[in-house]
Amino acid sequence: MALNASKTLSGVDYQIPRNVLALLMLAQVVVVLPHVAQLSPWIVGVCLFCGYWRAMVYQGRWAYPPGFVKALLVIAAVAGTALSGKGAFSVETASSLLVLAFALKLIEMKTRRDAYLVIFLSYFVIATEFLFSQSMGVAIYEVLACVMVTAAMIGLNQLQTNVRPLASLRLAGALLGQALPLTLVLFLFFPRIAPLWNVPLASGATSGISDRVTPGDIADLAQSDEIAFRVVFDGAVPQPEDMYWRGVVYNEFSEGTWSEGKPGRRVRSDLLVPEHDRGEAISYRVLQEPTFASYLFALATPVVADRNIELRSNFTLLADNPLMSMMHYDVKSYPDFRRELGQERPRLASMPVGDDNPRVREWAARVGRETGSPSEFADRILDEIRNRFVYTLKPPRLPRENSIDAFWFDTSTGFCSHFAGAFVYMMRAAGYEARMVGGYQGGEQNPISKHVVVRQYDAHAWAEVWTQGSGWVRVDPTAAVAPERIRRGLNAALTEEDRSSLSAFTNARLGGYGGIDELMFMFDSVQHGWNMWVVGYDTDLQMEYLTGLFGERPSAMQIGIAILLGGLGSLAVAGVVLFLRRPARPRDPLVNAFFRFAGAAEARGLVREPWESPMAFVRRVSVHHQLPQNDVDAAIAGLEQQLYAGQPKSTADNGAKARKALLRTLRRLRWRTTLRA
Amino acid sequence: MNPKTAKITPSSNSITTPDAASAVSGAVTGVGSHSPAAIKGMLAPALERLDGILLGKRHAIELSLTCMLAKGHLLIEDLPGMGKTLLSHALAKVLGLDYQRIQFTSDVLPADIIGVSIFDKDTGSFRFVEGPVFSQLVLADEINRATPKSQSALLEAMEERQVTVDGVRMALPAPFFVIATQNPTTQLGTFALPESQLDRFLMRIELGYPDPAAERELLQGGDRRRLLDDLDCVLDQAALQTLQNATAKVVVSDQLVEYVQRLVHFTRTDPKFAIGLSPRGALALVGAARAWALVHGRSHVVPEDVQAVLPSVVEHRLRGASDFAGHGGAALSQRLLASVDVV
Repeated sequence: MALNASKTLSGVDYQIPRNVLALLMLAQVVVVLPHVAQLSPWIVGVCLFCGYWRAMVYQGRWAYPPGFVKALLVIAAVAGTALSGKGAFSVETASSLLVLAFALKLIEMKTRRDAYLVIFLSYFVIATEFLFSQSMGVAIYEVLACVMVTAAMIGLNQLQTNVRPLASLRLAGALLGQALPLTLVLFLFFPRIAPLWNVPLASGATSGISDRVTPGDIADLAQSDEIAFRVVFDGAVPQPEDMYWRGVVYNEFSEGTWSEGKPGRRVRSDLLVPEHDRGEAISYRVLQEPTFASYLFALATPVVADRNIELRSNFTLLADNPLMSMMHYDVKSYPDFRRELGQERPRLASMPVGDDNPRVREWAARVGRETGSPSEFADRILDEIRNRFVYTLKPPRLPRENSIDAFWFDTSTGFCSHFAGAFVYMMRAAGYEARMVGGYQGGEQNPISKHVVVRQYDAHAWAEVWTQGSGWVRVDPTAAVAPERIRRGLNAALTEEDRSSLSAFTNARLGGYGGIDELMFMFDSVQHGWNMWVVGYDTDLQMEYLTGLFGERPSAMQIGIAILLGGLGSLAVAGVVLFLRRPARPRDPLVNAFFRFAGAAEARGLVREPWESPMAFVRRVSVHHQLPQNDVDAAIAGLEQQLYAGQPKSTADNGAKARKALLRTLRRLRWRTTLRA
Repeated sequence: MNPKTAKITPSSNSITTPDAASAVSGAVTGVGSHSPAAIKGMLAPALERLDGILLGKRHAIELSLTCMLAKGHLLIEDLPGMGKTLLSHALAKVLGLDYQRIQFTSDVLPADIIGVSIFDKDTGSFRFVEGPVFSQLVLADEINRATPKSQSALLEAMEERQVTVDGVRMALPAPFFVIATQNPTTQLGTFALPESQLDRFLMRIELGYPDPAAERELLQGGDRRRLLDDLDCVLDQAALQTLQNATAKVVVSDQLVEYVQRLVHFTRTDPKFAIGLSPRGALALVGAARAWALVHGRSHVVPEDVQAVLPSVVEHRLRGASDFAGHGGAALSQRLLASVDVV
């Protein structure tokens, strides 16, 4: 320490004051906390260690690290980040690096300037958290973190003898509160600029429906009550049994697993779904939670205008990029449109059923011959399912080989993907075109904001069969065994045993415990509002809103003016608030009259200084405007008499007299200046 | 006029025209048994004589007289040779008070101020020999050159108007005033007065350099000391008593109390102030404003009276938040006056 001290210019080693240091470090913890989910554990360790080191430095037990140690630490940090990032430079790597630098800064935080650097970095770290999540909870948390950091900055500007953390927090809150109107204006009007460069987001684990299904997967999804997406319908909401949200089409089957195979080709929607054949449309907006996959979900035969979304030849939608954050898209679905084989035909024709499951193949071939048409054959299968099978979320495990044989003849229990898989397999074995479709079925309408919520436990698999003349027709074998599942959701189809395997929270949601339900709907509609109007407020919605506001598509100039006016407006709001919050004083009529006089004089160019007594001000104004001596003297004498000479209240008429004299002077003032004008 | 107060404080005479003033004074019955005009008349010769001794310092003279009327002790701070001692002597003579001067040095002891018991061989008992503090007006010259121990010997005397020697309390004569002078604390060989002691002084005034006209007159005129000897007493003790009683009866309206409260509140809440005004400070402000109003022939206090005395009354009680030791306060009192609304 002594060595350090002699190095500084002033000869005195500046110590960041104790309270400020504590506030700063607390702010750092608050800021880094939400990042912890994305960080490798060792980085968290480094952060904690740096904090400990800084605390030790403050206590004078440890020294600041010498230069070469710092250099080593930085090199190690960069190398460590590169190693754990596996060479790829993604946003997660970048934020890890940022957090590391932020933590290392702690152990060289000596001067006031360093402290400011840490504060500005804190704001930056706060901003980066929004790359990972834009939910309402995170937004609220980060606003509070902003208050915290601002309070630390305020603390830094207080005298060392006079650091008051609570007062700083209050002040910081007030400062941010004052910034709110301007924030709103900028949020509404400021153009959403496309990023100048793109850092790829690291691929997290995808959630929800995936590109391959082994019967059993969807049962895992049933454990989760997370929201898959929300839907806002323009018109009436379809019946739950009609809401089949198609996501993935599974064409290939091997070793007990259905997979997408080669994804369908991208097709222009006006060619695949010609306009004259479309029929009635259902339009809606889907607000999809991030899945880290590209699948989008829509009712049958969707058409999307968004250029970032492709329509595939198998009538599914695919986003150009995996969904790293909330995405919303507007869809028009045509349920009556007849979907034809088209370019899919050659692919389906070459699809072998494989050579396992001999018993099922034999059965299908036999029954297929007996029935003769795809619809009759399908009915036979469904009859079989209806009579012999049991729906449960906990079926016995199936072997990898000949899994459908085992399901069909031995276990006879399963859930949607078992039924759908077996159905498609048998259709194909009998020589008909069929495929499995994965997605969600049903959804729950929020009674408050009227949108439909589709949760992971609504995940479902069903089949589509192609027949001459009708095109692709949806067949849901699950509907045969557990019709309640389709009409009334998962809950209705669950057995007691199934239910015991689900979490208490999911059960609460499924079970409909009166009050909790209502609360959850409320919470959901608030979140939905946030997604719709805050996260979903992108360039399109902004244009829509601004066009509504201006009556036409606004020019850059108009937006600029709007921002300027909005900024001034928000200043005015702050001004009005300050004006309203000034201490209220009970004023007697004479004082009120004086303030009227002062206001009039001010309008005529003479501003009253705060220290100027009423008498002195009236005198000054009268001299300046050459008001008649008599009235002025009477007014001044009256003011002094009433306000300061302590007249007993019984002579109240005296006050009225003084007031009259003052108002007469005021009239003179108005008259005189009007004449001159 | 004190250059520091000249910026804001308007000369209180200019507010009301003679007509208006008489209209006011005509309406009230006067202060006690004397009308304001009569009181002004009583004070006029004293002011005139003091003005003739200390040239061009009318404001300082009025302030010091105000301080006397408000029964407060006065601290005069300035560089050596600015007329501090002269003013104190002149005040004592004009007011007809018996006075003693204590020249403070670093080796003055409390006994040198209060007095000492000595053994009388004739009577065979101890006899108390009164120190210089036993007089109506004590001039404590260069008080900050004494050590804190001796400085604090004056404390009890100033506040309680009595001294205790060997366990015996002895009352000091009435009236009792202390006029202390001090050099700026930045000068060599000084001990800054602590807050508690500064607080005992009702006012602290500074004299400042005379203006050129006054200085010319000073250089051309005779010896100031000799003029001092020729000074006659124009206010006897009875008159002083009357004036002090009248001061206490000067009217302070609700409106004015609110103004004083706003001033005090501002010093306690504004971040530029390290310490706010104490209730004693607020009382001192009102008391001094009363006396100032009386000196200017008013039977009630107007805001200008408060503003006129405010720098002298509060500056030595305030400390800037960025100032760890000093009691400069001139900028603070200007800020105070400029920020607080009169009505």
